[in-house]
Amino acid sequence: MALAATRPDDEESSMLRFTGQNFQPLSSGALYWPAERTLLVADLHLEKLSSYAARGQLLPPYDTGLTLARLAGDMLRTGAETVIALGDSFHRDEGTASLIAADRKALEALTGRARWIWLSGNHDPAPHELGGECLSHLAFGDLMFSHEPRHGQVGLVAGHLHPSARVYINGRSVRRPCFVHDRRIMLLPAYGASTGTLNILGPAFIGLFHFGQLEVTMLGRDRLYPVSPKRLVGG
Amino acid sequence: MPDLHPLIADWFASKGWAPRTHQLDVLASWRRDASALLIAPTGAGKTLAGFLPTLDDLLNHPMEGLHTLYISPLKALAVDVARNLTTPITEMGAKIKVETRTGDTPVHRRARQRYDPPNILMTTPEQLALLLSHGDADRMFGSLRRIVLDELHALATNKRGELLSLGIARLAKMAPNLRITALSATVARPDLLRDWIAQPLPNATTALLMGQGGAQPELSIIASEEHVPWAGHSSAYAVPDIYKIIRDHRTTLLFVNTRSQAELLFQLLWAHNEDGLAIALHHGSLSVEQRRKVESAMASGMLQAVVATSTLDLGIDWGDVDLVVQVGAPKGASRMLQRIGRANHRLDEPSKGMFVPSNRFEVLECEAALEAVKAGYQDSEPPVEGGYDVLAQHLLGMACANPFQAADLYAEFQLAWPYRNLTREKFDRVLDFVATGGYALRAYEKYAKLRQMPNGEWRIAHPGIAQQYRLNVGTIVEDPVVKVRLVRARGNKQGQTTGPIGRGGRVLGEIEEYFIDQLVKGDTFVFGAEIVAYEGMVETEAYVSRSFSDKPKIPSFMGGKFPLSTFLADGVRRLISTPDNWGALPDQVRDWLALQHEQSLLPGRNNLLVETFPRGAQNYLVCYPFEGRLAHQTLGMLLTRRLERARARPLGFVASDYSLAIWGLGDFSALIRTGRLSLDDLFDEDMLGDDLESWLDESALMRRTFRNVAIVSGLIERRHPGQEKTGRQMTVSSDVIYDVLYQHEPDHILIEATRHDAARGLLDIERLGDCLRRIRKHIVHKPLDRISPLAVPVLIDIGKVSVFGEARESAMADAADELIREATGVPAQLGTGGD
Repeated sequence: MALAATRPDDEESSMLRFTGQNFQPLSSGALYWPAERTLLVADLHLEKLSSYAARGQLLPPYDTGLTLARLAGDMLRTGAETVIALGDSFHRDEGTASLIAADRKALEALTGRARWIWLSGNHDPAPHELGGECLSHLAFGDLMFSHEPRHGQVGLVAGHLHPSARVYINGRSVRRPCFVHDRRIMLLPAYGASTGTLNILGPAFIGLFHFGQLEVTMLGRDRLYPVSPKRLVGG
Repeated sequence: MPDLHPLIADWFASKGWAPRTHQLDVLASWRRDASALLIAPTGAGKTLAGFLPTLDDLLNHPMEGLHTLYISPLKALAVDVARNLTTPITEMGAKIKVETRTGDTPVHRRARQRYDPPNILMTTPEQLALLLSHGDADRMFGSLRRIVLDELHALATNKRGELLSLGIARLAKMAPNLRITALSATVARPDLLRDWIAQPLPNATTALLMGQGGAQPELSIIASEEHVPWAGHSSAYAVPDIYKIIRDHRTTLLFVNTRSQAELLFQLLWAHNEDGLAIALHHGSLSVEQRRKVESAMASGMLQAVVATSTLDLGIDWGDVDLVVQVGAPKGASRMLQRIGRANHRLDEPSKGMFVPSNRFEVLECEAALEAVKAGYQDSEPPVEGGYDVLAQHLLGMACANPFQAADLYAEFQLAWPYRNLTREKFDRVLDFVATGGYALRAYEKYAKLRQMPNGEWRIAHPGIAQQYRLNVGTIVEDPVVKVRLVRARGNKQGQTTGPIGRGGRVLGEIEEYFIDQLVKGDTFVFGAEIVAYEGMVETEAYVSRSFSDKPKIPSFMGGKFPLSTFLADGVRRLISTPDNWGALPDQVRDWLALQHEQSLLPGRNNLLVETFPRGAQNYLVCYPFEGRLAHQTLGMLLTRRLERARARPLGFVASDYSLAIWGLGDFSALIRTGRLSLDDLFDEDMLGDDLESWLDESALMRRTFRNVAIVSGLIERRHPGQEKTGRQMTVSSDVIYDVLYQHEPDHILIEATRHDAARGLLDIERLGDCLRRIRKHIVHKPLDRISPLAVPVLIDIGKVSVFGEARESAMADAADELIREATGVPAQLGTGGD
């Protein structure tokens, strides 16, 4: 079996071409924009598991630490000078206050290392003082960055929907988070360690994409798989 | 012979009966102030034996309050036994109050029972746990003299038994003079069950009483003229013969191993049912009302046959069954004996049972089971060692009852047999887990559920915790299920994937979520005795439409929950390896084995045969450990990793109860011949070390096990006051929690509990370890030019059952490959990973 999928080292071939720009998707779920030395991440959902403690469910409080460590790795690897978090960075507004000391320190180190832009999301609408700027959206040339996608907005890069794809081929099927765009709208997978996913063929995506021009890149264990849309199935 | 109280003696006389020996034995042991384990087959008057001491004692020394607590694994059984006991009590004119307490008991009666209990209370392990979580439980149980445990063999082998053992340890502290009588079917290790009931009462002696066995059962394997299939589990070939047999008997009970086999058999039987025989279906996915209807029709003799799964396994009286048929592999000899015991409840007449193997390997397995039953061998599971999840649940319950000193509770827990070897270190970690989650990172002190007071006692932080505990008691975690709704098909227009699905049909029943997860739109499967096509998930329901295909595409069969017992496995190996014993086998099966003998080798009783051969563009490695599907799956996972490291380029594998087939691109035969691949190294036991470890973190089986552990231990709540969470609605998936916890704190007590459960459950590591030690240096390699006769069944399974290993990731690789071929104009050439 010829593994034609791209490996981390042959980055050129897996570049996503979107509104005239080249973007490098990473198997962690981050999207790197080399021309602007900018790292894009969506839906970190920091402090998600710890938010259940007040209701009596003492879930492992490690998701924030894991997500931040992954982010630190991606920043180091790409040498990004700017980070744009596309909203829902915290699972709740209160999350910005509940960070434990070690996670707070790790986040400070990250925001100190690069220019940092927090876009607000439906889970974390309120601005905060954790370093960097808090904005509702950001326009940059032909591109628009915001949390929620809207049909018809050309050049939009967003998150919110936690896209995943399921392929079915030769009697086997697998479902993984994915990058997806139709040359108009680009959606990033959720980056947080505690996040679930929604199938891009599901009802949440109805009317969002031009399915004829869909390009889907699935996250593998340590590489990316651009897959044929005709192999996509629901569920 | 002990003299009976006159009222009891008169009652026996009025019925024209004499008490049976084992009934008197139980009474005698009670009068000697001993506990007792009574082992007797179904229908031997065990229930009366269990209660004779209670009746005798209460007639001689009438009292107010609770005297005897009866615990059974099924609430239906508790209700049944209460009825059977009330009749003689009324006939004796005795003033003894008997009541049941189950989830169905009205709230006001449950409340009353706590301050005004009956003399005899019939209940379940979960209800006992609930009663013990109240601070005044000692008022109710302080007067307790006896505990009667029914069907202990069924309870002591699972988590409910762990919970029960802890409850009994608490009762033994409240009423140190109580004695236990346990009733059990015949088991392989009665001594362990006796220890189980002796543990909480160190000062009492415990008698082991063996009831008289019934007549030897009459057993046979179905004689069918038809061709026995190579593989598969439908038994369709034998249906005309089964139908004739049903017609010739009064009432036939047909047992199968899985729900889907039940569905299929039921469907096939009705297709043959020219005489309109009353044939019914009974399995756990049917609604409760439907099941009750079948049960009462059965009890009143209105049915000629019932197709059932293990839901009918336990001891309720099913009326006049004169034949029990096991369709599909029996998997264990003791289980068979218990099932066959359902036929003919009179001890002096033999019960009649019949095996219907559904493929050739199962013929061998049935033959081995026949031998075992004839020889009276038992292979039932021993009682299980306690898990930390149940311990955590019970510990919280005890904190809800009263504040405790850690040392006292630790000593009490050791009185429960499954926890007799519990170390203080583990106890402390469980306590820490219940209090604050037990994380190395102490993040939750302010949300602690238990707090330590200045005098050292632990108590719950607030009363809401007790309320939450009571909503979540229990150790039975159902697989998450989704409702299956029948709708109109939405047509099969190309590319139409997101259009609305026809709405609103009737609900056919419920099905396991993991089964639905593997389907794609258009897949057909059998459900509710009809073939349906999957349409999609709509919120929490699976929509299906009626299908016109006559053959379901997805065999919803997963081999059944029970792995082949070690004992039967040995029987099968012995049978295969000794041609002199093949006389009883059907001709076609004998020919099959003879052909294997001629073309390859016969697997030996103590070695491991490994065959390698090319087929199509791929190479195959097939081995025959006969250790059950679960152990083979684990072995397959680990071997694939090792073969990859040896650059043999494995692509996937498929496991059956008997054998394991791995295929790949490397020439396995040549690699072994040239010494580049050593089978001894490949099958070395050390695979259970690092390789297992590195595989566990991505294993779906570990995740499924973790979900149960997380729910039982209380990490994830099934129910929160005012709401219920199920499967899909759970806000954080247990998979995510497992991943986060495993990555960050792989030695957390719940990960340890998960490993413990997985090792004996879905991964069956214990058994795999035993197997690898047994075959060490006894591996026989046979390179072949083509597939061997014995390898045919498992290779037929390829493409029918899910393929494991790298195949998951390679599905994406194939789809990516295809995209690139398309883009570069090269015609797509797919076809990897199987035939």
